[in-house]
Amino acid sequence: MLRPLVHFFLIGGLLFSSKVVYERSRIEGPRITVRVAADATDANVETAVREAILLNEAQRLGWDRTDPIVYTHLIRNMRFIEPDSPDDDLALFQRAVEMNMQAHDPVVRARLLYRAGEALAFVPEDRMPSRAELEEHRRTHGDRFEREGRVRFQHVFLSRSKRGEALSADARDMRQRLAALGDLAPAGLGDPLPGLRPERSATPSELKDDYGAELADVVGEAVVGAWRGPVSSVYGLHFVKVMATEPAYVPPLDVIGAEVRADRLREIRKELREERMAALREAYRITVERAP
Amino acid sequence: MPRLLSSAPWLFTLALTIVGCSDSEGVSGTVDEFGRCADFDPLRQVFWGDTHIHTELSFDANMQGTRTSADDAYAFARGETIPLQPYDEDGDPTRMATMDRPLDFVMLSDHAEFLGTLKVCNDPSAPGYDAEQCVDYRAAQQFGATPEFVRDVFVRINGLLNLPPEDATYPALCGPGSAYCLEAGMDVWGGIVDAAESAYDRTDSCGFTSFPGYEWSGNPDGRNLHRNVMFKNETVTDLPYGYFDVPYPEELWERLIGECIDADNGCDVLTIPHNSNLSDGVYFENRMANREPLTPEYAELRNAMEPVIEIYQHKGASECLPGAATADELCGFEVIPFSNLATTNLERITPPDPKGFLRYAYGEGMRFEASLGTNPFQYGITAATDTHISAPGFVAEDDFKGHGGAGQPNRFLPPPEGFPDVEYLSPGGLTAVWAEENARDAIFSALRRKETFGTSGPRMAVRMFGGWDYPSDLCDAPDLVAQADAAGVPMGGTLAPQPGSSSPLFVVSAMQDSTSAPLQRIQIVKGWLDGDEYQVQVFEVAGDANNGASADLDTCELQGEGFGDLCGVWQDPDFDPRHRAYYYARVLENPSCRWTTRQCSAAEYDCANWDYAACVQHKQDFLPSDFTCDCCDPAAGLNPAFCEGVDCSDPGLLSEDEERCCHQVEPVIQERAWTSPIWYQPPS
Repeated sequence: MLRPLVHFFLIGGLLFSSKVVYERSRIEGPRITVRVAADATDANVETAVREAILLNEAQRLGWDRTDPIVYTHLIRNMRFIEPDSPDDDLALFQRAVEMNMQAHDPVVRARLLYRAGEALAFVPEDRMPSRAELEEHRRTHGDRFEREGRVRFQHVFLSRSKRGEALSADARDMRQRLAALGDLAPAGLGDPLPGLRPERSATPSELKDDYGAELADVVGEAVVGAWRGPVSSVYGLHFVKVMATEPAYVPPLDVIGAEVRADRLREIRKELREERMAALREAYRITVERAP
Repeated sequence: MPRLLSSAPWLFTLALTIVGCSDSEGVSGTVDEFGRCADFDPLRQVFWGDTHIHTELSFDANMQGTRTSADDAYAFARGETIPLQPYDEDGDPTRMATMDRPLDFVMLSDHAEFLGTLKVCNDPSAPGYDAEQCVDYRAAQQFGATPEFVRDVFVRINGLLNLPPEDATYPALCGPGSAYCLEAGMDVWGGIVDAAESAYDRTDSCGFTSFPGYEWSGNPDGRNLHRNVMFKNETVTDLPYGYFDVPYPEELWERLIGECIDADNGCDVLTIPHNSNLSDGVYFENRMANREPLTPEYAELRNAMEPVIEIYQHKGASECLPGAATADELCGFEVIPFSNLATTNLERITPPDPKGFLRYAYGEGMRFEASLGTNPFQYGITAATDTHISAPGFVAEDDFKGHGGAGQPNRFLPPPEGFPDVEYLSPGGLTAVWAEENARDAIFSALRRKETFGTSGPRMAVRMFGGWDYPSDLCDAPDLVAQADAAGVPMGGTLAPQPGSSSPLFVVSAMQDSTSAPLQRIQIVKGWLDGDEYQVQVFEVAGDANNGASADLDTCELQGEGFGDLCGVWQDPDFDPRHRAYYYARVLENPSCRWTTRQCSAAEYDCANWDYAACVQHKQDFLPSDFTCDCCDPAAGLNPAFCEGVDCSDPGLLSEDEERCCHQVEPVIQERAWTSPIWYQPPS
């Protein structure tokens, strides 16, 4: 139990204050009492316990007396309470500590929790992921890195703005013309639209963004080799013919290395927070008291 | 000699690890061949992006309570949900944000000047951490800090950007030679480049493209001269050069050329000017750093380094000013009623200056081209959000949560009651590029050749070509683009004289955003130089300006018909081959409610017994009916009864309340797209 605690303390000390000298007494873990509301839920209790542990650790490290933000804040408090005091900052600070002001001030509390939280998530060099670890991470979390499947399809469009009341009749005519094409490409058919191509490779998501859900759904059904339509959009009517589909896939590490590493580091930070908190939880003896 | 070189030469010997995965042996991420994307179109496709985003790394955003990182910004751009300020006493966010559609590309542009400062002030092991400015900064971060204190700290540090160039300097906390902040800034810059690497999709899916970048943020005397610096790829300069390093734009460009473009290492970079509307009219003045008039060399430098400009963003449009130079009833769109950046912070009212707008720049540019041989202001068009909440592309009028920026203390506004931002600010816009694929080379090249357009938010795609021999029925051709491209130039291009041709033709094709209002019309704005005078005329090309469309102010429902797509072939009726000219298209949606109107229509408010003075005085007490306070404020444009009879021609006679009627925003807007111009150059 001692090693994780030491590890945490050292990291906290190194990371957040060179002024803090860690002193460790080899005694059993600290005992603290956490007071919660009578109707506190389990989640409320868990949050209160975690915060109490972190605050206690921060105080054991002396951050409530050495942290520059705490220092400045307590002096400001004292100058507010004693606006005419001739004492210098240090004297005011010492008096604030004597009054135990740091134990009850919400800003001090927030600051100490912030520092402790940062220390919990610090990633030491020996936890930086290796290539093998990244490869394993990519393999086991493929859903995070998966690229959406694509559909290659042909597309003919009839503009509602351009054709007006003739749109429906034109669509009936177009359906017959397309059916007669067989395997030929629909060259020279339909109306232009910015970005529209006779043949394109796209994901259903991209099509939804471009033309709306109805067209995306039809293309996403991926019925290969048959003209479908007319499909309606805000622009008019569309006919589509799926030529081929490419399934979703997880790219190799050489291509998405930076992405995998960033994702794994986020995980490691989370793991470290949990490991270190678990170690602290095990070391501490905690009594929870509910308010009457 | 630039001061950085003279003050801290040792910094240039420091190695900077900027390529992703440096800690993970053998994992490389630098393959980026042109044509690698599965969806590649030699005739080019449209991609949507935002090139102006601030995260917690920007000092102003940080002071406003933004706690979201570069990773968060990229996640948001891909469609994920991120937390927004203000944060409560426990550090939990009180708001969340999600965009309805992902973006294709993004460049984060945190202010370069204070990247190191923030790092120093947040790292207890850094020299400078205990400096008074850092102590104050950290105190301002605390939950209990008052808005007045936060503002004071903000002004004292961020105000250094207002110093004249000759006095530009890092904060004192940065130590001798500013070394603490320079070193820390390199570190942060490395992180920014790493984050862009992690976000970039290098697979053939090409789902998302990121560019490393930052903002150069000089605004001497409150005159905004800001530029975003955009690198093509992960090969970047060692430092993000800001106002304190290179206090003149020319110095910035020369530094970027020397250390990037001429370095022969794959580095490429451009700068994107923005908010010329807040420059007090000096953005396009005929003066260089040495106070001398522009030279041919300067014009070439600016033309080469600044291919595009931001025409619209959160802090207003910079296209044109109502009543200036030409009759154009559509110039009033999202015009900030002030002239400089300091005004937005300090509420000092100075009227906008027409010299800060693009119409002026385009005219002056032609004049300079005639005398210097190069047009220094030959800008293509982009638009952006300038979000300060790490929310790229968050442009929805119906979900506006405020973008922060300009020192507004968003963290102290208590959502959801009341407006989340100052009424004259807006959600900002998007940049669109026509590129072969969604990858760095293709998008960066599109920006270089100005085949770009900006929108006020909706994703309405617009294509424009100019040529001499287009058929009048080109809009009916299924292969419109292939024909137009083969026989002309796209937006951003330059038409050379065509002996024997009478007048150039332009084809403009547009489609509405599938989730927004239908289109109303397409216009072409023509400007030309006749002798030494430049003129502007607006032409209707397609659609119907009198279609009767409107928006219901009570419900914000759209009323009237519009067009899903529009196309027009237009020939200049007054073309004179001797005159330099430019032509850009403006595409308009049917009218729709502005964000202020949408928020008020969704809330209950009643201006019948409204008292502005009491509302301001007791604003804190107005909760939870703050909407009455904000919606009835004359500046919000929704209290016509109060403003009836107010004569703005002599503001000196008006009360403070009445004067707010003279700065009111429009309750209904027409969202729009602006294409890059096509220029015509006469025979030399």
